Amino acid sequence: MVKPPAKARDPKKPFYVILGVVAVVGIALIAMQARGSGPTPQIVAELPPGDAGKAQPYVYGRPDAPVTISEFADFECPACAQFATLTEPDVRKRLADAGQVSIRFYDFPLDQHRNSVLASLSAACAADQNKFWEMHDRIFAGQDAWATRPGESDGAANRRASRLFAEYAKAIGLDEAAWSTCVEEQRHLERIRANRQLGIQRQVRSTPTFIVGNQMVPGALSYDALKRLVDQAAPRRDTSGGAGPR
Amino acid sequence: MTIAMLSLVGILIALYLTLYKLGVIGGLTCTVGSCETVNTSRWATFLGLPVAAWGVGAYVALFALSLAGTADRHAGSQTISVLLVAIAAWSVLFSAWLTYLELFVIRAICIWCVASAVLLVAILVVSVMDWRGSRGRGVRGSRAPVDTPPRVQ
Repeated sequence: MVKPPAKARDPKKPFYVILGVVAVVGIALIAMQARGSGPTPQIVAELPPGDAGKAQPYVYGRPDAPVTISEFADFECPACAQFATLTEPDVRKRLADAGQVSIRFYDFPLDQHRNSVLASLSAACAADQNKFWEMHDRIFAGQDAWATRPGESDGAANRRASRLFAEYAKAIGLDEAAWSTCVEEQRHLERIRANRQLGIQRQVRSTPTFIVGNQMVPGALSYDALKRLVDQAAPRRDTSGGAGPR
Repeated sequence: MTIAMLSLVGILIALYLTLYKLGVIGGLTCTVGSCETVNTSRWATFLGLPVAAWGVGAYVALFALSLAGTADRHAGSQTISVLLVAIAAWSVLFSAWLTYLELFVIRAICIWCVASAVLLVAILVVSVMDWRGSRGRGVRGSRAPVDTPPRVQ
């Protein structure tokens, strides 16, 4: 009588071992990639408070114009884009180019908008090459393409926006390398923080918010509404000095 | 066994793309094509979830079923074979639609997505062959595994 072996060798064992090896190697490769590249450096979306005293707007028109229109805006806010694309061209052409007003743009990135700070940085770095307003216009005009989409991760949204802003930089003729380095270094973050802090001090609660003379009005104003505010401020020669730090 | 191995590779690819979509991985290794263009497009999300996450689900289902099929007590199970064919066929159709979007709508190719599509086609072919084989044997859930060790008296 032959004694049966105590335990038959499982012929599938090598297969399970190979499966295990493939799984471990695959997961290790993914982990290495995750650790090696890490997520794309996120442009901070939630800004710590800044120093309002260092606020520095971007100015369109004659700085000594009799009336100042100060706008606190978020590049990712739809109402701001609506104002920038539909109304602002008229305001520039009919009021600022005519020497009646100067427009001061202050960044007011809202925490819920994941790409706002990146947009502000991109515009600020364009300002280094005297092309803030060209970049401002491109960013607002393309808002649909780069704004964060529902369900999209912050990393993916940030990457998509970065690519588009780089395209805008190229299109408006910026020195791309200098602009790109400036954005990556977040060189103007202090300025953006300061601009927003000034808005907070001035009780700005939504975007866009306009300060014309000594009146503060929230919402995407029509040209006529803005013109009325300018007319009201004009006789007083805009003694408020705008929204700038005093 | 072949299906289990292919599905495991599929799980790893889909997991990789999902982690990228979730921002855990910063950039995709993409020697050919434009993986990021495809994976950041609006078609990279389906019913609120990254398409790649659906892929992980499908591959895990295929992997679990095929692994169960290798167990002696499920050997030759028609139910498992039919489920494998059904999931693989559905996945191939979904993958074909995604490939169409890549080629004609997004106009960019993601090499990882192509690899996944090829894997799914291979899984479908193998699972159909397995299903036909199990039908040909005409045994429902009681076929003795081919590689059962001989009994010793």
